[in-house]
Amino acid sequence: MAAIDIIPPSRFELARKRFIKYGFGTPLAAVLSMLIFAILGMIAWRFLDWAVFQAVWSADAVDQCTEHGGACWSVIDARHRLILFGTYPYDEHWRSSLAALAIVTTVLLSCFPAMWQARRLGILWIIGFATYYLLMEGSLLGLQQVTTDGWGGLSLTLFLFAAVVLLGMPMGLGLALMRRSDMPIVRWFAVFIIDTVRSLPLVTTLFTAAVVVPLFLPGWLVGDKIWRVIFAFAMFFACYQAEVFRGGFQAIPKGQFEAGKALGISYWSILGKIVLPQVFRHALPSTINMVVVTFKETAIVTIIGFFDILASGKTAFGTAEWAPYYIEVYLFVAAIYWVFIFSLGQYGEYLKGRMEINER
Amino acid sequence: MATAEELRAKAKQRRLIIQSAIITITVLVVWGAVSNAQYNLTRLNMTSGFAFLDRGTGWDYSFSLVERSINDRYSYTLFVGLLNTLFVGFICIITTTIFGFLIGTMRDARHPAVAFAANVYVQIFRNIPLILQAIFLYAVLIHMGGPRQAMSFADIAYLSGRGLMLPGLNVSPTMAVSLLLLSLAIGVGLIGSKKTKLWRGIGIWVGASVVLAVLAALVTRPEGEGVMSIPALQGLRFTGGVSVPIELLAMIISITLYGSAYIAEIVRGGLKQVPKGLVEAGQALGLNHMSIWSRIKVPMALRSIIPPLGNQWIFMMKATTIGIAVGFSDLFYITVNSISQSGQTLELILILMLTFLAINYSIAIFTNWLNARLALKEH
Amino acid sequence: MLKRLTAGAVAAASLVAPQMAVAQSATVQQIMDRGTMLCSGHNGSYFGFVEVNDKNEWKGLDIDLCRALTTAILGDPDANQIVPLSWAQRFPALQSGDVDIIIKATGWTMGRDTELGLQFSLPYFFGGTQFMAHGDLGITDTSGLEGGTICVEAGTTIERLAANYFETTQLDHDMVSYESAAELRSAYLANRCDAFAGWGPNLAVLRATEIDDPDAHVILEDQLSSEPIAAAMRQGDEGFVDTVNWVIAALLIAEEEGITSANVEEMAATPPNPKVARLLGVEPGMGERLGMRDTWAREMIAAVGNFGEIYDRNLGKDSPYNLDRGLNNLWSHGGVLYAPILD
Repeated sequence: MAAIDIIPPSRFELARKRFIKYGFGTPLAAVLSMLIFAILGMIAWRFLDWAVFQAVWSADAVDQCTEHGGACWSVIDARHRLILFGTYPYDEHWRSSLAALAIVTTVLLSCFPAMWQARRLGILWIIGFATYYLLMEGSLLGLQQVTTDGWGGLSLTLFLFAAVVLLGMPMGLGLALMRRSDMPIVRWFAVFIIDTVRSLPLVTTLFTAAVVVPLFLPGWLVGDKIWRVIFAFAMFFACYQAEVFRGGFQAIPKGQFEAGKALGISYWSILGKIVLPQVFRHALPSTINMVVVTFKETAIVTIIGFFDILASGKTAFGTAEWAPYYIEVYLFVAAIYWVFIFSLGQYGEYLKGRMEINER
Repeated sequence: MATAEELRAKAKQRRLIIQSAIITITVLVVWGAVSNAQYNLTRLNMTSGFAFLDRGTGWDYSFSLVERSINDRYSYTLFVGLLNTLFVGFICIITTTIFGFLIGTMRDARHPAVAFAANVYVQIFRNIPLILQAIFLYAVLIHMGGPRQAMSFADIAYLSGRGLMLPGLNVSPTMAVSLLLLSLAIGVGLIGSKKTKLWRGIGIWVGASVVLAVLAALVTRPEGEGVMSIPALQGLRFTGGVSVPIELLAMIISITLYGSAYIAEIVRGGLKQVPKGLVEAGQALGLNHMSIWSRIKVPMALRSIIPPLGNQWIFMMKATTIGIAVGFSDLFYITVNSISQSGQTLELILILMLTFLAINYSIAIFTNWLNARLALKEH
Repeated sequence: MLKRLTAGAVAAASLVAPQMAVAQSATVQQIMDRGTMLCSGHNGSYFGFVEVNDKNEWKGLDIDLCRALTTAILGDPDANQIVPLSWAQRFPALQSGDVDIIIKATGWTMGRDTELGLQFSLPYFFGGTQFMAHGDLGITDTSGLEGGTICVEAGTTIERLAANYFETTQLDHDMVSYESAAELRSAYLANRCDAFAGWGPNLAVLRATEIDDPDAHVILEDQLSSEPIAAAMRQGDEGFVDTVNWVIAALLIAEEEGITSANVEEMAATPPNPKVARLLGVEPGMGERLGMRDTWAREMIAAVGNFGEIYDRNLGKDSPYNLDRGLNNLWSHGGVLYAPILD
């Protein structure tokens, strides 16, 4: 008998007990459980029936689509290259896939705790980003040159995402430091920028960068539209990220700075070697949240005329042949977004949970 | 070896240099931008200034709460855009808050099936970009067919690919807007005053608004017509009743689905922070679930819910800018269209930005006020 | 290096002898230095004019004109970049230098010509604003649209023309406008609106191919306008306007004279008349007066063909749309297109 008490029940066992206790404890609870599971089950079944069992899969079988009641995945079979790569030259799609893979690998590698040092992460992201750029642009590797106007689809979405995070992170740190400065003008400057950018809808910021900013710049500074938009997007990221860092700074006792100063260590050494690593650690869950939000928000560039995955999806069902199958295309694009965002989000939740345990 | 005095002086000097450098650079950048813009405008022979605001637009758009015509001036048309943005924003703020509290509470429930269903909802709608959801939903909605194929709900309400037709009070659009504003004023007055309790205030507000609206319809309805106006198919469209264009419907539904998933997480976070002891105390007093929720959990949780909720409300206002993707004439849409029709890019973007700054500061002020009001009640 | 030297020499010469009448265009110079031409595309497909094919390449009448211009200036039809732009973005993009020229079914209006600081080339296309309605409504003219919903593209001249038309005729209606052609098309097909105000040729293209059953849609009789469609450029560079005008002229003259991409070399070897000889650069004059190569028109026709070939390939009998040329034929064939005189 004592032995039973000593061995703690497994987590699964606990969950099962909870499930039975609260889900079927009273007759009312049991009825509610049955009802909800029945409804959810029915929705899931109808969806599966449409999307899997009754579906047509191959592009050649598109004429069967009208007979079957199910989904017509033929549209994806026929047009997936357009959705994934946009207007990128057809014969060079392997480059676009490799480039997208480079970004995904970079993100995956950043999830390992071994990488969590500012220098390692910085180098990793710069390498990932450079790989992407060299492959996509091509001229430096001796491949056919493809300018940014020709980039599109999922690759473009990933590119925008990586460029914004890479550029926005140091900018956000800079703004956060400026905001904590004891020099009033520096502080006001940062507060002004952060509050203004945060008040504006992202799409207006991007629209301004794409359309209006060139009027304010001398000719040699105008550059490509995509870079102006990336810069503006990075500014948006930085202003939110600055607030995340500010939260991280607040969690650190002021005494650390004073102790460092008393020991005669310079401001930048205290910052870089003692304070920042802690700030990053505290800010990590919120930072991942910001990164997830950024990935989601990249979809907005479709409004200002970029050929991202949403725009190329729309083009994919834009012909008479494929027009009836818009639902399939939107579901495909939504599923891609969902997989990226959900897994990043779950990872963030996991980290948050782990850190809470560590702090206990 | 430098003395402390010298070091301090040096530090002071450095602070001075850095700050003046920032001022100088800012001034230079602004000056450079302005002179560049002037140069570019002259070079490209573009007209600048706000004179265009008095000119007629000559184009039409999908939705307006007030009377409109193609002879309206740009200033008026932009104002209509602002009204539309505020209208959608407010509706979405209300719907997302209600749904968010509902789903957040479900997510916090002990009952596993309830929590699971809420979790599925949150995970689906929070992890897909809003604009994709809006475009997707819009595409599905407009494929429902024309007015002749409309779905009928007991022959008083109809849903078709054109919009939702609801029975409405027999009042003119202008009257309806004035009623809405009046109701808003009453609401703010009642909830704002510290004498009435929050829940009671809301009750009186809703009741008074309904009575006022019915009275207005009784008095101002056209000769020989009923208080209610019921939609009926006539020619190419439905006449009578209140028509909600499909663009507006798509905006409201998609922003609500997305936003309430976020608010649900905020609410869950807030409810989680309520100490268990308090809930147990309530149970010991014999309070039922509902009372524990409305009298103990929500009031306690509100303090940590309101600040992020305010941010979410601001987000909702900003999210109305997706209107352009579904053809809804919100402020951003009207601005972009004005830009392409009049060419006054700089002026219009300036107006757009200042308006959004004003909206956001107002919401921030309101949230702070609400927080202060609720915080005071606790003590 | 040699190019730069000559450019320098020309610049120096123009300083010394400003009376020399060589058209010097800053934009052309910029395009040559850059080595690529920046043309306007569309955010999606605007069928027949600017569209994306299965191989993700741009094609269409407007794209072919861009290719012709690119060949004329740079000698290579592919040395261009097509920048995708929505209707609303096209003029700001031109003003900011994101594109060198807008060739995008753009109508010539007074407002654009004056307030927007643009200048237009010769019109290369004429088309009127019309309405297309669902066939099952059983209507043939706009009076049947009473109480209906009309879709239109935002930020276009059509939007204003349609609004103005309804204001004049006092027809009760609702208007819904969209930012891109694709959205508009799918909204109309989904029956979001009873009719769709569009540009005649575009409506015909849509009806011919984009729709499963062409008889299910009628193009209403009423013609709201006939718009001259022209290329738009930034003001202040007359030399560039000259270049574009003569590119369009050369395409028309080539059609008049029966020069096609197939026989251009043959024609150049044995020119039937002095006009053809000058056009194809057999006799000097074509290039020098525009500050370009003498053989630019020959290369251009070899690459993209004459105007008739461009039309047939993208809109006419060799395209899926099979549109009649109608107004957009040479004056000698009952159309309104004519070229200035090549002397």
